[in-house]
Amino acid sequence: MRSNSPATYPALAQRLYSVWYRHVRVYTKNLVSNGLPPFLEPLLFLAGVGLGLARYITQSMEGLSYIEFLGTGLLVTAAMFTAAYECTFGTFIRLEFEKVYDGMLAAPITVNDLIIGEILWAGTKGVFFTFAVLTVLAAFRIIHLPQGLLAPLVGFLTGVMFATLSLWITSFVKTIQHFNFYFTGIISPMFFFSGVVFPVSDLPPQVRFLAELLPLTHCVRLSRAVSIGAYSPFLLASLAYAVLFIAVTGWLAIRRLRRRLIR
Amino acid sequence: MNVIKVHNISKSFGRLCAVCDLSFEVEEGTCFGLLGPNGAGKTTMMKMIYGRSSRDNHDGGTISVFGYDPAREELAIKYLSGVVPQENNLDDELNVIQNLMIYSKFYSLPGKVARERIEVLLDFLELSEKVLSPIKELSGGMQRRLVIARALLNNPRLLILDEPTTGLDPQVRHLIWDKLRQLRAQRTTILLTTHYMEEAFQICDTVLIMDKGRRVLEDNPQRLLRENIEAYVLEVPITDGTPALREPDVPCGIRVDHTEASLRFYAQDLEPLKSLADRLSDHPYYLRQTTLEDVFLRATGRALNEKQ
Repeated sequence: MRSNSPATYPALAQRLYSVWYRHVRVYTKNLVSNGLPPFLEPLLFLAGVGLGLARYITQSMEGLSYIEFLGTGLLVTAAMFTAAYECTFGTFIRLEFEKVYDGMLAAPITVNDLIIGEILWAGTKGVFFTFAVLTVLAAFRIIHLPQGLLAPLVGFLTGVMFATLSLWITSFVKTIQHFNFYFTGIISPMFFFSGVVFPVSDLPPQVRFLAELLPLTHCVRLSRAVSIGAYSPFLLASLAYAVLFIAVTGWLAIRRLRRRLIR
Repeated sequence: MNVIKVHNISKSFGRLCAVCDLSFEVEEGTCFGLLGPNGAGKTTMMKMIYGRSSRDNHDGGTISVFGYDPAREELAIKYLSGVVPQENNLDDELNVIQNLMIYSKFYSLPGKVARERIEVLLDFLELSEKVLSPIKELSGGMQRRLVIARALLNNPRLLILDEPTTGLDPQVRHLIWDKLRQLRAQRTTILLTTHYMEEAFQICDTVLIMDKGRRVLEDNPQRLLRENIEAYVLEVPITDGTPALREPDVPCGIRVDHTEASLRFYAQDLEPLKSLADRLSDHPYYLRQTTLEDVFLRATGRALNEKQ
């Protein structure tokens, strides 16, 4: 019965695209409620901090005014939060409650296609969220175009990093409440100690190396560099960290989620 | 020509043997039913066929679907097959046609081809009026039919259905059975699981009764009925007082099945059961032809297992 011609099925790129396309369609279905907050949030943040707090902070940070310093960090924290939510709560709901993956895995895609498609989608959301912050920052002349236009690429990298990490975390989670530990214990501390709200160099020397281990530290460094056009060879180390981080956590996530999806 | 060949397949979860040394083959263009109580291993067996579940490797079992091994070539199998999972899992955020368009991408169907195909399928499953309806507005029966339409998007040569009509009303069940018969008439091979005996009897050419992961019986449903159980049964409940019948009084040729709540008398002919019923005077009874359900209960026993 087996035909002599080789097996036919869609190529890898088409398979990844179809997973990505599914997420795009579902996300854009509620365009206003999904698409507006990414613009409003940085607006609120900058209004609150810029009008209020920043007036008291006159010292420059890494050569930037406080509002510039903070804004260039918020570019990637937006990407971090969206990817982390997407690949924890979002993934868990699709996996356990809506059983969306049961339907998708009946179509000609593999578990690897499914997970890599999720990661690419989280990266895409990273681009969009960073772009939204960039729009606000550019409107208030905090960032100058066109050099800031590279920031969404860092947003993609950040989205992918936090997608792989979050999927790996999700592979351990049995009940959805457990994600609270991840957000309170890992994501929130990262927001405060990765050089977003104050420079990493101000940390006590004993714990500074810890900040260097955090993925967000490197995302912020890259984002700030491309935003103000200040490049240094040290950025290559951050880029290398990002690639290595994605490779390791991505591999762990796929390996564990595969065991959960194919039993 | 056999589309599915399963030889000596086992699957264990820890110490539990969900599927134990099971073998069967499904001929092209026929409908094959896996029948069994909850926890019998039906769904696990079905998932191994399209690569969603992995089989035990140590005892050399093999699965071949269109000549492909699901452990290594799941994509080729899934491209030729449509799968209707046990739960509907449609995307609630989207409407009917959007749900189907999303899946057309998985098969790489060009937009125009997909839209034409969707129109035909919605017509086939009598959902044409619902093209733009949100999923939440569809009844359970409509959602089920939509999932079947989704599984048919790529004109599958094999259709796999996990409990296609569980929880649906009789009209929808009969409609789905009709559609499955039509697909079979077009040479689509159908593999389904069910615990409705009626369903197996109505649409399956072959039924494999499973219990605790093992094959209990396998045959054409009519023949299963003919060869495994008497033609008639007289059921007498014992709840409202013991009937005036004792087992020693029963003429030979009649088999008695005594449970706590009822007495069942099985016989090949109707007459002896009728005269037996006459002796019951006012006591309620039910005299009927036996069904596949009687075969099933005889084969798998009346006691519940831990999953039921």
